Amino acid sequence: MSKSASSTAAATTTSSTSNFLSEITNSQVIVKLTNGLEYVGILSSIDGYMNVVLENSKEIVNSTEIRTYSEVFLRGNNVLYISQD
Amino acid sequence: MSEITSTPVPSSEPLDLIKLCLDEQIFVKLRGSREMIGKLHAYDSHCNMVLSDAVETIYYVHDSQSGEIKSKTKKSEMVFVRGDSVILVTDAANV
Repeated sequence: MSKSASSTAAATTTSSTSNFLSEITNSQVIVKLTNGLEYVGILSSIDGYMNVVLENSKEIVNSTEIRTYSEVFLRGNNVLYISQD
Repeated sequence: MSEITSTPVPSSEPLDLIKLCLDEQIFVKLRGSREMIGKLHAYDSHCNMVLSDAVETIYYVHDSQSGEIKSKTKKSEMVFVRGDSVILVTDAANV
């Protein structure tokens, strides 16, 4: 709260990364987790912790599809990257 | 939640999905090759969760030579799951 002045400059740069995240909502993405699992689906929402909700997603391990989820929540700390498919 | 000010303000946030699962059977994937299915009674922003009539499935390598995987289950009437071990949450009907 106290660092409002210094955070203005930083906000420009951080907003561009979160702009990217908000731009890719509702599009097909790949979310890779640190444990090696990959989820391919439509990004329906994301927050600042990188918690993610995917719709119609496939769970992929070693490039083989294991399960499908119509709607799934992924906890942000496990996320390695989010890429536009 | 309010401490992250630069976040785009989504019309719905990811935790809303968990909110929709209150009083429903959920499937939770946990660290350490564990999965849990139970009825969701409460949760918070850390993904700490209280489940009732929960069944935990633990997968382990039975035979390291063949790589055979077995599982065992544990049942608990009421369980508190610490959020930091949560990987994935979904409605159990979706699995």
